[in-house]
Amino acid sequence: MKLRSVLAIKCAKCTSYLIKKLNRGSGVTLPGYVARLVDPHILSVMVGMVKEKTIVTMGTNGKTTTNSILYHALEAEGKKVIINRTGANMLNGIISAFVLAADKHCRLDADYACIEVDEIASVNVLPQLKPDCALLTNISRDQLDRFGEVDITFNKLKTAVTSVPDTKLIINCDDVLSYTLASESGNTFVTYGISEQIFDDISRSEIRESIFCRSCEKKLEYDFFHYGQLGIYHCPNCGLKRPEPDFTAADISLEDELYTFSMDGMLIHSTARTPYNIYNTLSAYAALNALEADLAHFQDMIESFDYGNNRESIFSINSARVQLHLAKNPIGFQQKISLVLKDEKPKDIIIQINDTYQDGEDISWLWDVDFQYLADAEAATITTAGTRKFDMGLRLKYEDISCDNTTDLRSTIIERTKRGTGNLYVIVNYSGLYSTNYMLTELEKTQKGGEET
Amino acid sequence: MKLTIGHLYPDLLNLYGDRGNIQCFRKRLEWRGMEAEVIPFLSGDTIDFSQLDIILLGGGSDREQELVCGHLKNIQQDFKNYVEDGGVVLAVCGGYQLLGKYYKTDKKMIEGLSILDITTEWQPERLIRNIVLDSPLFDTPVVGFENHGGRTYIGSHTPFGKVFYGLGNTGKSGYEGVLYKNVIGTYLHGPLLPKNPQVCDYLLERALKRKYSDNIVLEPLKDELEHLANGYIAGRYSDKKYILKETIKRHI
Ligand SMILES: [Zn+2]
Repeated sequence: MKLRSVLAIKCAKCTSYLIKKLNRGSGVTLPGYVARLVDPHILSVMVGMVKEKTIVTMGTNGKTTTNSILYHALEAEGKKVIINRTGANMLNGIISAFVLAADKHCRLDADYACIEVDEIASVNVLPQLKPDCALLTNISRDQLDRFGEVDITFNKLKTAVTSVPDTKLIINCDDVLSYTLASESGNTFVTYGISEQIFDDISRSEIRESIFCRSCEKKLEYDFFHYGQLGIYHCPNCGLKRPEPDFTAADISLEDELYTFSMDGMLIHSTARTPYNIYNTLSAYAALNALEADLAHFQDMIESFDYGNNRESIFSINSARVQLHLAKNPIGFQQKISLVLKDEKPKDIIIQINDTYQDGEDISWLWDVDFQYLADAEAATITTAGTRKFDMGLRLKYEDISCDNTTDLRSTIIERTKRGTGNLYVIVNYSGLYSTNYMLTELEKTQKGGEET
Repeated sequence: MKLTIGHLYPDLLNLYGDRGNIQCFRKRLEWRGMEAEVIPFLSGDTIDFSQLDIILLGGGSDREQELVCGHLKNIQQDFKNYVEDGGVVLAVCGGYQLLGKYYKTDKKMIEGLSILDITTEWQPERLIRNIVLDSPLFDTPVVGFENHGGRTYIGSHTPFGKVFYGLGNTGKSGYEGVLYKNVIGTYLHGPLLPKNPQVCDYLLERALKRKYSDNIVLEPLKDELEHLANGYIAGRYSDKKYILKETIKRHI
């Protein structure tokens, strides 16, 4: 290895040590930045030390869960795997993951690297990583103000994948945008999809853009929609149609709130509570096949896999059941509403909406969620919180759903768990996730220690 | 009393919560005991303008706007007559651009309705942020979110408002949107109306006056939450320290 790369790794490790010593947060991006300053080619050097294969996961929804499945599946086969931390999916975060995994001789001992890449960073990151596979979950509307439009995301991803022509793509063929991107890219690709109708009306409704054929501009026709623009489509004019997927999940059924499905000859009794996680499992399985990875332990691994991924956590506070959920875009929120409606017990709901840069400063997406269904949710109370609590309140007001708002989330949670229905949902968008999770964990502990607030 | 709202091409122009604007029109009529009928016109449908009291022309991506362009040619004269006759129109983002003569992107020239003497030209840097306006029509600020690559030149037309914080029509002119007869064209989404009930009521009153009688005055509604949502953004950008922080953040 060049001296320069060695130096870059050492500097990054020192930075990380200092950040921890000074208690300045988790330090997931700064070490990467420092390493890149010292050696601009550090990422290519590091990925060159990965013994077997590198895979990146991209797309609007589900990339963290999918990447986690890949990681656990490879670990279950006894492989050493590098993974970047949740949210650290821009260039510096990715470099950090590699350099901090190096040993004191600046060597990597890794068989695989599973890297989640943000769409905006993909153009920069992919040429440096030259991954064996790139998995694309779907392309939908997310955090509009960063990208402008879904077309811009599409073009960024297309530029990224065409810059690495030897990378095999793993594509959700139920998503016409992903499928079009793969077809136009020239890269080889493998498809996955679900041919049965499994999503309920509530998760299915609304948000249909890009339903025009990108080659001939005629309106696409659908046999049915899964959700968003995903479904079984064809173009009446030019013959474009959803292909028969290479990998599919079938015989999907719901038993005791958990999904069972068959995939490539296996009958999987999964712990998935939402159909989205069937997609995530299927896509990871397709990718592992494309990587020619061992899969002997896949079924055991996935049947005990925790899809929660810290994004959906359950707490017990003042003997109330408290669920924390992340909803950061219309499709994600629609899914949570569908989940809330499946719970027939009375409930209290708190919705926290922030508008920091990570959340997206534009919160107009709230109007693309079908909140009218919440009227049937048997909610005793609905409370809005966060910097945009009034906007969230307005969204509900214009569906004639009454709600109140709070500036003090903590006291509201305590009050609701003591005097509420005993069944509390807390739904937050991105920037509120970690602080709220921390708060709920702490409230749960305090209560166990006997010193009730 | 009843108003009929035509939502033009929601299959093509349907971005940034346009539905919020429709819902706002509808609810603020219903809460006052009036009726609202919303008719979505899909691309290719024929439109009878004489049955419409309000038209919403929403936003779409550049690619989708180009598809709309073809349909506009068929309705151009009817639409123009409707506007000249005092018909109420709210045109947002892409819809605003389409009211003009053309929208010139990096690759193409998209022909507009030529109802207004305005033109739009695309530039690579998008204008994206919260925006606060002083509009001569209202004594309270108009707030929203802008996100556009197009720079719109309104010539001698009256702007919708003066930019208090944000970028506006061209990023430089200091003005945002356009006002013409009963037409409001603007880049503000968010969506525009729920947080700015004064704008919604202004348009509703114009439409009711045109359809029924000049004496109609809308009774006020309880708008505490609307004012809080509006005041939160207006207040945030009246704070010089906050604006300074924001400016620094954008330049690093
Ligand atoms: Zn076609």
